[in-house]
Amino acid sequence: MEAIKLMKELKSNLDQEVHYLPKETGLSLIESTQENGNGVSAKCRDARVEDLWSLTSFFGYSTQTFVLAVNLLDRFIAMMKVQPRYLACISIGCLHIAARVTKEECKVSSSHELIRISQCKFTVSDLSRMEKIILEKLNFQLKAVTALTFLHLYHAIALSHTSNRKDVLNLDKLEAQLKACLCRIVFSKAKPSVLALSLLMLEIEALQSVDLLEIAQRIQTHLKISKADLVHWRGLVGQCMREYSSPECAKPDHKKLVWIVSRRTAQNLHSIYRSIPDLPTIPEDTWDESESEDSSEDLSSGEESLSSSLGSDAEGQYFPSNFRSRARRP
Amino acid sequence: MVHARCAPRNEALLIWPGRRKDGKKHPNQLFTSKTSRAMSSAATTPPSVDKVDGFSRKSVRKAKQKRSQSSSQFRSQGKPIELTPLPLLKDVSAQEQPELFLKKLQQCCAVFDFMDTLSDLKMKEYKRSTLNELVDYVTVSRGYLTEQAYPEVVKMVSYNIFRTLPPSDSNEFDPEEDEPTLEASWPHLQLVYEFFIRFLESQEFQPSIAKKYIDQKFVLQLLELFDSEDPRERDYLKTVLHRIYGKFLGLRAFIRKQINNIFLRFVYETEHFNGVAELLEILGSIINGFALPLKAEHKQFLVKVLIPLHTVRSLSLFHAQLAYCIVQFLEKDPALTEPVIRGLLKFWPKTCSQKEVMFLGELEEILDVIEPTQFVKIQEPLFKQISKCVSSPHFQVAERALYYWNNEYIMSLIEENSNVILPIMFTSLYRISKEHWNPAIVALVYNVLKAFMEMNSTLFDELTSTYKSDRQREKKKEKEREELWKRLEDLELKRSLQSDGIIPT
Repeated sequence: MEAIKLMKELKSNLDQEVHYLPKETGLSLIESTQENGNGVSAKCRDARVEDLWSLTSFFGYSTQTFVLAVNLLDRFIAMMKVQPRYLACISIGCLHIAARVTKEECKVSSSHELIRISQCKFTVSDLSRMEKIILEKLNFQLKAVTALTFLHLYHAIALSHTSNRKDVLNLDKLEAQLKACLCRIVFSKAKPSVLALSLLMLEIEALQSVDLLEIAQRIQTHLKISKADLVHWRGLVGQCMREYSSPECAKPDHKKLVWIVSRRTAQNLHSIYRSIPDLPTIPEDTWDESESEDSSEDLSSGEESLSSSLGSDAEGQYFPSNFRSRARRP
Repeated sequence: MVHARCAPRNEALLIWPGRRKDGKKHPNQLFTSKTSRAMSSAATTPPSVDKVDGFSRKSVRKAKQKRSQSSSQFRSQGKPIELTPLPLLKDVSAQEQPELFLKKLQQCCAVFDFMDTLSDLKMKEYKRSTLNELVDYVTVSRGYLTEQAYPEVVKMVSYNIFRTLPPSDSNEFDPEEDEPTLEASWPHLQLVYEFFIRFLESQEFQPSIAKKYIDQKFVLQLLELFDSEDPRERDYLKTVLHRIYGKFLGLRAFIRKQINNIFLRFVYETEHFNGVAELLEILGSIINGFALPLKAEHKQFLVKVLIPLHTVRSLSLFHAQLAYCIVQFLEKDPALTEPVIRGLLKFWPKTCSQKEVMFLGELEEILDVIEPTQFVKIQEPLFKQISKCVSSPHFQVAERALYYWNNEYIMSLIEENSNVILPIMFTSLYRISKEHWNPAIVALVYNVLKAFMEMNSTLFDELTSTYKSDRQREKKKEKEREELWKRLEDLELKRSLQSDGIIPT
């Protein structure tokens, strides 16, 4: 039966997953590194992974590529002490390798394109050298078992048991949530099977489906996942999800993107205020146009008094003190 | 009919018939040459070509032409003007000065013919130095301005500047491309303008007396001069009209109305007027001084005159000034934002990319000062248009539109309303990231998409997956359609094989 086959697959993946876990001590070291300290800090790594997410989305790569890239990255930086300035090159290298491994259905972009779009400063030869190093250090173990593998399996199992309600569990949504989690280094410490199960259970909770909950619990017993572990990770995942779906916008505080425009456009970007020579402002007096528009009579009586207050000296009233106030002018 | 010496040379005929390569005219053929030229141009003028396309016309340009000069101050070729030289003002006593001043003014009423470069040279120089003297006199003196002086001053100025402007050298003077025809009598004219401005700005100037002579008729003639091709003259006229507007309150409504008429005629009838930029500059200083709350008349002006001005072909000549006026209006009364932006969107250029880039620049200036409540009202139609601009195959348009995301204030507005704006922009952004021909645009799109991703991750992911599933559905439908056609073909093939054994091609 389908379900039995899936369960077997689950078991074999469970045995494999430990080989693809990044070194825990390495990860802890990164978490404890200070911001501008000697090595890679958690914030630095998280920012890089977010960039990878943007690039994945932009080039249309699958979630599989992204998850694999993050896995390679974490494994690498957990075992090697790297300097922060190489992290960009390493992360792009991991993405490039991952894209080739997962055999993207859309064409894998060239190194040149990757570097150009991500606005990185290194060259194509730098990238290929780095990729070689990564592959060597990871012993070419590229077919990683990740949380995504488990997520797919769980989803398939759930599907096979509840075939009458097909689209209840939204795989796309789960994948998106997984991507959000992977942007925090803390989740790289979790076992992929546990992380995936936590995500699943949170979603099931939201759906409030008793059937699916039962399935999930069966998976838990089958894989012998401890309750304590699950509770711990579920808590962290829950918190992450709350932040992910909060309506508050996260202002990007790291690297500002470079806007390169063509020369012609740059020429046209000048503000209109710079090109207009100033003619002094002529204040409109509230009483002066009380005559109708088509009347050609002048109000001689009022003008006597006004001409003296206006001053025949052109330098008089024409320069009010709040002449030009541009609050938002750069 | 066409005088042999004035017939346009063959090369000129190929490009712009009727235009001579050199600007010189033989003095004796002053009048005839103009007529013959006018006639030859009338005979061979090509139909009016739509001049504003996206390509620079410099490539089809004829050889650079020397600036031509013209003037329509024709004097009959009769006796030369004789002016008796008067003593200098500084050389006479203070009591005699006012009368001497009047006499000099009267002398300067004599107008000389500058098209004839050789005639009356001595007298021309005399008038020039007299004018110079008058300029200095008006600037520094006190107590010289009697009541009798006013009509004389106005008369002298009128005689010199009010004239029928010469017809344009070519039937198709393109203000953007061609050199303007300069005023030949500028040596005198400039001094007259200078003198008049200092007179208006003088401490002794009294509008109550002057208004008898500077009346509506005067202003009307002044406004007609704004059509002069000579930019220096227009610049002076701008200052003159600005001062008159400032000092003569009774003329203000009239001036505004006449400017309205000029603009409306320009937009809806002729699309020809050389002084739009200068008039708009004056209006800018007027708008800046509007009292709040804005009068209905001014709001009408904005909607009925300023917005339609955007539709004119030669927009690039006065766009900076026009945009300035619009932004001034919005700073005075933010409630006008919605009609203004809707108006711009209504007149959005569809075939002229050069204009589109201008519109995008103006729009960014407007957004720089927009209030968040106003922004929310127009964000949907606005970003629908921006979405179209961003996917424009013309890279300058796309680039200019994408550059909005580099503007901090606009970004903050977008962030506050990302749940409305992102769905509008998403499809075109995603599509052009894959399909646009220009790599620089693709790189800019990445910046924008990244900004959106960070603003609102959940919505972004939702839109991505919807987009992908839509695309997959489309592909599936496409495949099904192809298979259907293939099956039909096979069916047709089988049937015809059965009937007569001949395979149709």
